[in-house]
Amino acid sequence: MDAPTATEQSAFVRRFSPAERSLHWLLAVTFFAMLATGLILYLPALAQVAADRQMWKSIHLGAAIAFWGGTLLLLLSAPGELQRTARELDSFDEDDRRWLRWAVRRGTAEPPQGRFNAGQKLNTALIAGLMVVFTVSGTLMYLQETDASFRGTSAILVHDVAMYVAVPIVLGHLYLALVHPSTRHSLRGMAIGTVRRDWARRHHAKWEREV
Amino acid sequence: MRDVRMGRRVFLGVVGAGVAGLFAGSRLSRAAAPLGSVVPNALHDLVPDGWRIYSVNPPWPVFDPATYRLTVAGAVENQLSLTWDEVMQLPQDTQTTDFHCVTGWTVGNVHWTGVRLQHLWDMAKPTAEARYANFISMEQPYVDTLSFKQTLLPEVMLGHSMDGQPLSRAHGAPMRLVIPEMYGYKNVKWLTRIDLVQTLNPGFWEQRGYDVDAWVGRSNGY
Repeated sequence: MDAPTATEQSAFVRRFSPAERSLHWLLAVTFFAMLATGLILYLPALAQVAADRQMWKSIHLGAAIAFWGGTLLLLLSAPGELQRTARELDSFDEDDRRWLRWAVRRGTAEPPQGRFNAGQKLNTALIAGLMVVFTVSGTLMYLQETDASFRGTSAILVHDVAMYVAVPIVLGHLYLALVHPSTRHSLRGMAIGTVRRDWARRHHAKWEREV
Repeated sequence: MRDVRMGRRVFLGVVGAGVAGLFAGSRLSRAAAPLGSVVPNALHDLVPDGWRIYSVNPPWPVFDPATYRLTVAGAVENQLSLTWDEVMQLPQDTQTTDFHCVTGWTVGNVHWTGVRLQHLWDMAKPTAEARYANFISMEQPYVDTLSFKQTLLPEVMLGHSMDGQPLSRAHGAPMRLVIPEMYGYKNVKWLTRIDLVQTLNPGFWEQRGYDVDAWVGRSNGY
């Protein structure tokens, strides 16, 4: 049987569920709140603005608590769903490895990808790891201020280094989501859930075949 | 071949590196310090250096030259209550020293003008009971303490000008204790009173577990 033509199929396919989008935007909002307040506390150029450091610290900590509280609520409200997403992100096949090589060297056609390409999987794993590192080192920084027994770890150094690693990754993500012509269409998927089918066929062929 | 555990390996790798950094970070950065000279300047400039402004009870105190008094009291023969003009008429000294914060940042080559404590002691005449000096800030309840001997270390002064400018409100106007050999929390800002006492009273951060003898590089776990 011939493949159905574009007119026989709906023009848009659903890519991200409400729970996935909620988790993404929860992270986006709280990450930038923590980045902004963190830089106010960190950058000497802003030291005078930060006269009331306690207030900026409270907002910084509040955003962290909102992130983890919200994440927990989402996990409980859609049982199993986000875990399935995590399993999807966890697994790399041969096409994913070829895709990563392609992303660096180009030259060949884009290897076919599932709903997430290998770069997105890598991005998720790195950012998730960094969020844990931020949380552990940040909690130690909070405790160190009032309790000497938590000193002796390099919590501040680790928190700073994590920031220097996370910011370029997030800037790269923003570039691909907002600027780069062949990838920025995916913003629609994260905003309202659906993407153009012809775009999905080009960049996420293995997934598009199944939906 | 499908590897269903790739993402979590990356995730756990990042978490593991972070946890390792918590325990080895200061050793690693010390080991890497000699590399500092070969790291390109552009990379150095990424890490901002300069002052952070810490306070414990904002807003910052306001200095009024008309009503300000520097009090020296406690175990002294002559209690002092100096106006700002009187402080400025004391012999003045200058020095260029580094400032180290216990949280890890440093400002190098800070130029200070101020008054050595010896000149105050000459006027106040501490008694034999004066074993410690409590430096009390206008920002309550901030206080820190030095042993009487430490107040006479060669680079200790009450600084009222920093890098050629009168000390700003953020930096502790009109005057702060300067003791470059110790971390910043010993360098009490908005100084208004010195009490000479017989027994040690731990300072604001020392009541929260920081070392009383806050030698740079030799205290607080460094």
